[in-house]
Amino acid sequence: MLVIWKRDKPLENAIEVKELTKFYGSLLAVDHINFEVKGKEVFGLLGPNGAGKTTTVRMICGMLRPTSGTAIISGFDISQKPQEVKRRIGLVPDISNLFGELSARVNLEFMGKLYGLDKKTRRQRINQVLELFQLKERQNDKVKYYSKGMHRRLTIAAALLHQPEILVMDEPTSGLDAQTARLVREIITDLNKEGRTILLTTHQIDEADRLAQRVGIIDRGRLIALNTPEQIKNSTEGMRALEIKILDGIDQQHWIPIIKEAEGVDKVFLAEGKIRILSKDLAQAIPTVVNLVNKHGGKIENISVVQPTLEDAFINLTGKSIREEPMSKEDYLKTRLPRSGLR
Amino acid sequence: MKPLMPLMHSVWIAENDLRQSFMSVRHVVWSLLFPIFMLFTFSFRYGVSGPDVEFINFLIPGIVAMTAMFGSTNETMSIVWDKSMGVFDRILAAPVSSTSIIVGKTMAGAVMGVISALVLLTIGNIVFGVSFANISIVILIILLASFSFTGIGTIISGLASEPREAMMLSNLLRFPMMFLGGVFFPTEAMPMPLPYVAKALPLTYATEALRAIQTGGNISVVFIDAAVLLVYTFGTMLLGSQILMRIITR
Repeated sequence: MLVIWKRDKPLENAIEVKELTKFYGSLLAVDHINFEVKGKEVFGLLGPNGAGKTTTVRMICGMLRPTSGTAIISGFDISQKPQEVKRRIGLVPDISNLFGELSARVNLEFMGKLYGLDKKTRRQRINQVLELFQLKERQNDKVKYYSKGMHRRLTIAAALLHQPEILVMDEPTSGLDAQTARLVREIITDLNKEGRTILLTTHQIDEADRLAQRVGIIDRGRLIALNTPEQIKNSTEGMRALEIKILDGIDQQHWIPIIKEAEGVDKVFLAEGKIRILSKDLAQAIPTVVNLVNKHGGKIENISVVQPTLEDAFINLTGKSIREEPMSKEDYLKTRLPRSGLR
Repeated sequence: MKPLMPLMHSVWIAENDLRQSFMSVRHVVWSLLFPIFMLFTFSFRYGVSGPDVEFINFLIPGIVAMTAMFGSTNETMSIVWDKSMGVFDRILAAPVSSTSIIVGKTMAGAVMGVISALVLLTIGNIVFGVSFANISIVILIILLASFSFTGIGTIISGLASEPREAMMLSNLLRFPMMFLGGVFFPTEAMPMPLPYVAKALPLTYATEALRAIQTGGNISVVFIDAAVLLVYTFGTMLLGSQILMRIITR
């Protein structure tokens, strides 16, 4: 396993984000965000596409200047000492941004050089990460011929080469098949066990729930909740969740506006093919929903009271589902802006 | 940090860029085929059977300068591809200064310009027997021209938000420059006001200097052209780096 960058007195907070704000022209992408990531913690920044996660991450990594506010990374201010910050962070971006015409070894060589590793250390660490991520056999093949999973593994390997204290992972499992996503999650867990602080952004609620010790929910550039996944789930404040499946040969989506009208129902949405209802008064909600479904010719196949999930909490907080919300034009622009040209 | 580290960063960035370009055989072949086709096509003239020897002597210095232009601007415009593929972020996330990134990208562009031009120079020598008296001054002129073209490539890379836009912008500049820069026709023979337009183009000075060396003409012309290319180099690189810097330090 890799040896982390040692410091005599570990800092309590690896990342301190203070009033971080970013405007793209008149568009507010990140709005006075405040949070801390403790040393050796896995912190999840959860939010839909265009919420401001990537912009926040780019500012934390010293790649984007904040309009106002700052972040302190391992004791270094991103605005004053961006190079020191970059030395201490390993970034795994949302896309596997490797040099496709070059081999894995040459890609890693280049990254090692940029991080100032001498030839001997470079060779040693490259062998180590290639071995660790099971890429040794294909190390001399052009990266453009790699599978998605291999791309992802190599991207993580490149981020670890300089042995950073903090690993920032932007949507680490986005677009991966289930098997590779599971492998990446295992790697994240292992790296955290080794003592690395991990900041990950995700729009997948179960991923944040499974991996993060604390979660910050970000929506439209603002941090709207910050706590452990359990505490956030409990923040539904007496809200209970009900799951029903209706047999009528019609898409379940058809029932959402109908059930929304039922008394006692606060929120209705689809989750994994079932209708999910949030209610503060299940005693009132259950009979009214059953009556309404029967009135409209439906037959309830299954009904059960379930524990509120992080997604329920997200919907309760934002009023929308993280999965189903279509991206607005402004949100789309936000996701495009960091990569485009002159602004 | 070691004092030479920023320069080393630039060298590694340039080396990485060039390695990427040369690792793609198709990229190398396609980029060289264009000036080779132009050379062979224009080596024939109406009314003359077989390649026109006199015209080839006129043509090759221009083709060499043109190849430097295409080689260096193409290489520098890889910045736009790098931005769209996210690989530019890989460099931005590393502890490398903005200046090192710009210098590295510029070095890669200039080296590619020189290498491409030398390939055409060699073809001209082997196939048509066209030789240059003073090869070191030829290389110096090609290098200066490549740096000024790299500056143009940097400006385009900074202004374009995506690869297609970069291609269109570059063609907007390069193709008129190719026909007005004295590569295929003497600028003096062009109708007014085109000779004045030609005077504003760096390719004109690169072509004129190489032609003067090849024909053993007045050496003072070469020095004046070199001085103009130097001014172009500073001007375009200053503007290009300012535009790129705004993107890097955004």
